[in-house]
Amino acid sequence: MANADTHQRIEVIFRDILDDETLVLRPEMTAGEVENWDSISHIDLMVGVEREFGLRFTTAEVAGLKNVGDLEALVEKKRAASGK
Amino acid sequence: MNSRLDYAALVRAAKRLDTIQTFSKVRLALLSDAATQQFVPLLRTLLHRQGVHAEIYEGAFDGFQIETLSPASGLYAFAPDVVIVLNAVQALRASYAARTGGGREFAEGRLGTIASVWDAIHAHAPKAVILQSTYVMPYERFFGNFDRKVPDSLYAVAAWLNQRIAEEARVRTHVLIHDVEAVASWNGRREWFEDRLWDMAKSFCAFSLLPEVAKNIVDIVLSLRGRVVKCVVLDLDNTLWGGVIGDDGVDGIKLNAHGDGEAFYRLQAYLKELLKRGVLLAVASKNEMENALLPFEKHPDMLLRREDISVFQANWSDKAENIRVIRQTLNIGLDSMLFLDDNPFERSLVRGVLPEVLVPELPEDPADYVRAIAELNLFETTSFSAEDVRRAELYREESVRRSEQGQYADADAFLKSLEMKLVAARFDCFHLPRIAQLMQRSNQFNLTTHRYTEAECEALMHDPGVLPLYAKLSDRLGDHGLIGIVVLAPDGEELVIRDWLMSCRVLARGVERHLMNLVVAEAQARGCTRVCGEYIQTAKNGMVREFFEQFGFTKIGDEPGHTLWILPVSAYEPVATFIATVPETAQ
Repeated sequence: MANADTHQRIEVIFRDILDDETLVLRPEMTAGEVENWDSISHIDLMVGVEREFGLRFTTAEVAGLKNVGDLEALVEKKRAASGK
Repeated sequence: MNSRLDYAALVRAAKRLDTIQTFSKVRLALLSDAATQQFVPLLRTLLHRQGVHAEIYEGAFDGFQIETLSPASGLYAFAPDVVIVLNAVQALRASYAARTGGGREFAEGRLGTIASVWDAIHAHAPKAVILQSTYVMPYERFFGNFDRKVPDSLYAVAAWLNQRIAEEARVRTHVLIHDVEAVASWNGRREWFEDRLWDMAKSFCAFSLLPEVAKNIVDIVLSLRGRVVKCVVLDLDNTLWGGVIGDDGVDGIKLNAHGDGEAFYRLQAYLKELLKRGVLLAVASKNEMENALLPFEKHPDMLLRREDISVFQANWSDKAENIRVIRQTLNIGLDSMLFLDDNPFERSLVRGVLPEVLVPELPEDPADYVRAIAELNLFETTSFSAEDVRRAELYREESVRRSEQGQYADADAFLKSLEMKLVAARFDCFHLPRIAQLMQRSNQFNLTTHRYTEAECEALMHDPGVLPLYAKLSDRLGDHGLIGIVVLAPDGEELVIRDWLMSCRVLARGVERHLMNLVVAEAQARGCTRVCGEYIQTAKNGMVREFFEQFGFTKIGDEPGHTLWILPVSAYEPVATFIATVPETAQ
């Protein structure tokens, strides 16, 4: 489970980009379950999360993400490594 | 300087657009060898903010060659007003890597493909305007600085293609350039290129710069629909020169080609170029007239001369009042005027009283004036005609006419003294740029306000079923140029007036009466028994609401904002005018 700060900030980005103020992210959540989360908004989400945390994902990292939990874990890992 | 448009905010706004506030519609087709899904919401939002509702057709990714060649394709079924062709340098790079011959051969093949796409679109959608992108200069320089000397390199190929695309577009009036390379270079190619986004989503640039590309296209679309700056109204003290002429005197103001007056000199040079391309200049200054004129007459480094200023208002009235006077004298819309003043008080006063006038913020340092104005891209145009070069002169002749008018006993005596000559002839290639410009620009004296593009005007010219006429007027004091357009369509017993528009420069001279005489004579010659007309109301054409009535037409259709009129040819008495019809060469 990601720490509260990472989780909350990612949730804000998702709500904003997917245009759903009530969206609650769960680790096992995937694109298929969430309205508006399609291949186009997916790229917006990735770029939005990168910008929020000042990180950069590689193409392979983005391709390897299976669900919200993976994304949060990836952000945690990168934050720890970069000190952000 | 100017803040960037925010990508995420625009995408969000795209989801909440209503159609109630928009008053006009445009059909845009987007063809690209990159993905455009991210781009479409931005175009939609930015157009909506300008009161234009966009219907947007997205061609299949990288499928536009097939699509443009097939008459039955979705593109043509969509019937676009504008076709945006967006070629990504990333796609060029991939084809370049797979080339079999030399780089130049490759480039020539690519240019051939681009031109054949244009020609296919023009053949199947002759009314559509094509907006062709330029290629963003790639970051690879295989030879370093030597790259430009090697015609085969990708860098040289992109530069060559951009040059040749511009040249090919010059000979096709229906093709306009949207200069994506200029957007990328200005904002920075370091930020532009995001190869990861190309790999994952085929995005041709970083998302942060997509809004800048969209804005560039929106500027062109608005210009196609008649948004144009016709006149720049200038403050004098601390705008056109440094210091206050009334206090500092002609020797004391700052203005020179080098040193502390260079900022003002640069602004004048910029304005002088605008003047040469047909933008009128006017002055609104709080000054004694005598003082205000001094630098124009006496200062050696003044680039702008008195004759460059179409209307010169120097007095102690407020600036909004002076702008109204300038507007009336030039007979143009407030929304085609731009006001430049260093004083924030004057700017906010004008914004408050005349919200239609464009009033950009000017930076504190005069050194930044030109850049701040240039960045706003306010002088977009879709044509450039011989008329533009002469425009300031035309208005100058007009002011001579006005001052002479007072010397005559009545208006008729004055009109008679002008010895007006009018040419009316079918559209021809030579006049097409000006015809299209008038179609796009005239708002007030315009019965139907169909905004035909140059390509559509060309189609009318070739259409044997219609009689598209232009009118040119000259008189003793000078040449007014092409000032009127009447498009007639014979339909059995009827001659239908499809369009009728005139430049407001020539109102109250009897030109419309003279043209109506010609129209009815034409109906008679063709054996038509009736002339039919139509008035479609816009926000600006109230002056011609009762146009047909004055000629004895009867109203036969009356819906809100739309009336239909009919006149039996036999009932028409030609109206007396002081205009002689002459053939084209005699003018």
